[in-house]
Amino acid sequence: MTIGMHAPILAIAVPLLGAFALPVLAKVHRSLRDLWAIAVGAFTCAMVITVAVQAFTSGIQVYTLGAASPTDTIASGGFPIRIMLVVDGMSAFMGLISALVGLASLIYAFHFLKEEQGKTLAMTLFFLLWAGMLGMEYTGDMFNFFVFLEVTSIAACALVGYRTWESRPAEAAFKTMAMYTVGGLLVLLAIGILYGEHGALNLAYLSSRIAGSQLDKIALGLLLGGLLMKAGAVPAHMWAPDAYGEAPAQAAIVLVANTQASLYGLWRVLFTLFAGALSAPAVGWLVTSLGVLTLLVAVLMAVIQTDLGRLIAYGAVSQIGYMLLGVGVGLTVLSSRPDFGLVAMQGGIFHMMNDAATIGLLFLAAGVVKRAVGTRDLRALGGLGHDLKWTGGFFFLGAMALAGIPPLNGFASKLLIYESSFRLSPILTAIAVLGSILLLAVFARAFQGAFLGPRLREAKPASLSMLIAMGVLAAVILAMGLVPDFFVEHLVTPAAEALWRGRDLYLAAVLGG
Amino acid sequence: MRLVTGQGYWSPLVWLALAAGVALLAWAFWSRGQRTYKAGTEQDLPFLSGERAPEGAHVRAPHLYWGFAQALRPVMDWLKAFHSGFLGDYVTWTVILLAVALLVVVLT
Repeated sequence: MTIGMHAPILAIAVPLLGAFALPVLAKVHRSLRDLWAIAVGAFTCAMVITVAVQAFTSGIQVYTLGAASPTDTIASGGFPIRIMLVVDGMSAFMGLISALVGLASLIYAFHFLKEEQGKTLAMTLFFLLWAGMLGMEYTGDMFNFFVFLEVTSIAACALVGYRTWESRPAEAAFKTMAMYTVGGLLVLLAIGILYGEHGALNLAYLSSRIAGSQLDKIALGLLLGGLLMKAGAVPAHMWAPDAYGEAPAQAAIVLVANTQASLYGLWRVLFTLFAGALSAPAVGWLVTSLGVLTLLVAVLMAVIQTDLGRLIAYGAVSQIGYMLLGVGVGLTVLSSRPDFGLVAMQGGIFHMMNDAATIGLLFLAAGVVKRAVGTRDLRALGGLGHDLKWTGGFFFLGAMALAGIPPLNGFASKLLIYESSFRLSPILTAIAVLGSILLLAVFARAFQGAFLGPRLREAKPASLSMLIAMGVLAAVILAMGLVPDFFVEHLVTPAAEALWRGRDLYLAAVLGG
Repeated sequence: MRLVTGQGYWSPLVWLALAAGVALLAWAFWSRGQRTYKAGTEQDLPFLSGERAPEGAHVRAPHLYWGFAQALRPVMDWLKAFHSGFLGDYVTWTVILLAVALLVVVLT
């Protein structure tokens, strides 16, 4: 057996072990802790890439825990009862997003976090959150999905509020914790209903059994409510700006990827678990409508923000709207108009990776600003471009990409969404374009206010590790913008196909036949 | 090197080539203009709304789109009230979202 065969479980277990060993090693020596963090981060990324290469080249990867062989999915009774990891194109794609964001966050954290301000604690929580996200994306059963959802919830809330010497992070963490608990309970209740009705937790097995009974529909409604809330869809989005806005920069970027993991859960529920039993046009229109509402409300709220962190946070929520719009349009026309339905899904899924890179870059740049002058209040900022040239450049790049200015990556994914949503209803496209125009106005204002004008005060320059982290994300943005066809063909299309037409393959990989 | 979008295609390299052409054209026009600008003179001073700005003046971020925000004030006030910051409101809206989702799923 090669290490590649065990890569799915190693990608989750290594950061989990890394999290728990980190505080112990920090007690021995800080440099030992840092070496451990680098080793765990590098190994986790290597495993995620290995899993992705295997999934994209050899098909769905199945890993069964507790079996004689990881590929023995069915127990002796002819029933998939063991804990299972199932990685198809969509899971592999999400794993790559988590790896990218995790890597950038880790590099950035080395010089951004201060020892006396809980560096060890923050890094421990980061690895815990990373493991939870990868677990959500790779798991093949519903109960473990809930377990990993809770792991991410606990770690995310702690990351928002661990700076107990400030009042606002604690308040944001409390609100986030309360909302995550509500969402988690809805998901747990739905899983309980499905288990009570079908006697199973395995996602593929459940999918083969769900026939659209009233109980199934109630479970679907609960899953929709819980996961849409955790994804930050309007009107249940209000926790998101609080959490993103108050979390330190290296944590905020991972929180965005964590939100996307919940969105992935929603896709998995709609396209795999309930694919054979839901009224796709009705649910598709629900998701589409929420997408449009989310992007419009969030971007209007961004217009009036004066805190750079909260402004970016509302920008991040608005991007969730574009993803919901793209995939919602795809779901609406799943059976009737596959010609543009797949394009819509490609747009929505491509935008997930674009959002992770662009919003991540903006949050990291805002972190540099806070560290440089001690505030993110746009009413007090100005002229930072004199001292923070690279950071200003990165912020400008991220802002333009987020607004969808060609030739950057945001334009490519939004173009796919615009063209396909136009075929469903031109009103959807008009609102989406309006959202992008407002986003451009919002981020032009933020850039002008923070980085242009005369030098108002001396700014502390960004350290090398922070610049490298932002440079990694900027390089990804440029690459995805200049050769979008490469990313769409090799990463996005397999992910979209896995949802679109991959349910039968998913079931066959787990249940055989 | 092009992304097929269903209705057509998108090629960033073609766009860059066109953008470079437009930039070249703009430079050609600019280079034929008057050369009266002198760096380091009062031509460099900021000039705001017809008045000479004081030393170190900076148009801060909230000043931009002030008129836009004023025109949309009723909408903005409603949105601000909607984002009350009260946890009870957060949960209420989640319950409303859940109710809508359940209605759509159960009734269709």
